[in-house]
Amino acid sequence: MYIIVAGAGKVGHFLAQRLLEDKHTVVVIEKNRDVCQKLSQTLNLVIVNGDACEPRFLEEAHIERADVLAAVTGEDEDNLVICQLAKEKFGIRRTVGRVNDPANEHTFNELGVDVPIDATKIIAKIIEEEVSFTDFVNLMSFKRGKLAIVRVDLNDDSPAVHKNLNELVLPPDSVLVSIIRKDEVVVPKGNTTLEPGDDIIALTLVENEQQLLRALIGDLR
Amino acid sequence: MYVVIVGCGRVGAQVATLLSDEGHNVVVVDKNPDAFKRLGSSFNGLTIVGNGFELDVLKQSGIERADAFCSLTNGDNTNIMASQVAKKIFKVKRVIARVYDSARAHIYETLGLEVISGTVLFAAMIRDKLLDKRLSSFLIETGDLGIIELDVDEKTAGKSVSDITLPNEFLVCTIVKRCDQHGRDIIMPLPDTHVEKGDRVYGIVRVGSIDKVKKMFGADQA
Repeated sequence: MYIIVAGAGKVGHFLAQRLLEDKHTVVVIEKNRDVCQKLSQTLNLVIVNGDACEPRFLEEAHIERADVLAAVTGEDEDNLVICQLAKEKFGIRRTVGRVNDPANEHTFNELGVDVPIDATKIIAKIIEEEVSFTDFVNLMSFKRGKLAIVRVDLNDDSPAVHKNLNELVLPPDSVLVSIIRKDEVVVPKGNTTLEPGDDIIALTLVENEQQLLRALIGDLR
Repeated sequence: MYVVIVGCGRVGAQVATLLSDEGHNVVVVDKNPDAFKRLGSSFNGLTIVGNGFELDVLKQSGIERADAFCSLTNGDNTNIMASQVAKKIFKVKRVIARVYDSARAHIYETLGLEVISGTVLFAAMIRDKLLDKRLSSFLIETGDLGIIELDVDEKTAGKSVSDITLPNEFLVCTIVKRCDQHGRDIIMPLPDTHVEKGDRVYGIVRVGSIDKVKKMFGADQA
């Protein structure tokens, strides 16, 4: 794929490197000359020295050939504008925008960034999951926040334990993806019986999340 | 009107003071509390410290009941983002963004945002002042049309409007008859209306045809 990366800070640099390793064609646009120079010494790719918010530099990066654009600068307003220009002016089908301030994620969704990536929130989630004593963690949301992957830990008083999956009443558009039982991964089938201590990974519509939790954990505390 | 203004630089403060003096309810948002010092002592609106595209800050500014919104910081992308938030998320009716970069201004204009580009506007205005004192090309946003003011002397006196119309180049819109003690007479002419010596003519002209039009009206049209 032909991928344009706007912004060559730590994230942009690392991303470009990963994409190159995966044999993609990568063009980086970065406005700071020194950063460009440093990047050119470590990675073998095309670098455009300019502000990706200005259409002429996107053209210089041959955006008309690009399949995907990722805007990963440290400024949310810049990332938004870069994604919008790519999409609206140059017809790029898939735009990925880094969200620096979690408060802006909703705005990115509303204003047409295909995939807003909120690193702060993702890291916080992972840490939360690692330190958490709660029975439920939202691992990831996608499709503009409509779908979520959640992890639910079953304990002894869960209404779902000792039941077969086909006895469980789950809300519509919710599906159990896998069951982690001790160190094993169990693929859920109709005759799988849930046990206390099982960790369930489920995919659900966010609007049905509460119903799903009620079915698996019981009434929420 | 209830107006929210983002950015309290020179332009933002000027607009805020202007509207406040006219009796409108004005809220100004700026990241830097010192910026509010620019507001004159007559300003009696509200000030809020915060980032002008953040939803919470905007809610605090009362954007949900605002009639109009403008983002006037010196950051193009900040203004573009803030005004889209105002327009698309909070559904404010009148939204204006200030955008310096003419390329970006043009693109967002075609995407339906109301954009004012100081750069384009001032460049046109300064061009007019330098080259054609009596032309206002900045009024018409395309930049290649202008409104020109011309005096009728012997060369055109007695001609009809259709005689001095150049299709696709120059169109007479208004004739101001000679002023006297009774005031002046303003005419929206028809093709067979005649112009007389001493009349002043206002017309729309293509910038590329200015010299041709001036020549038609006589050399002395500085």
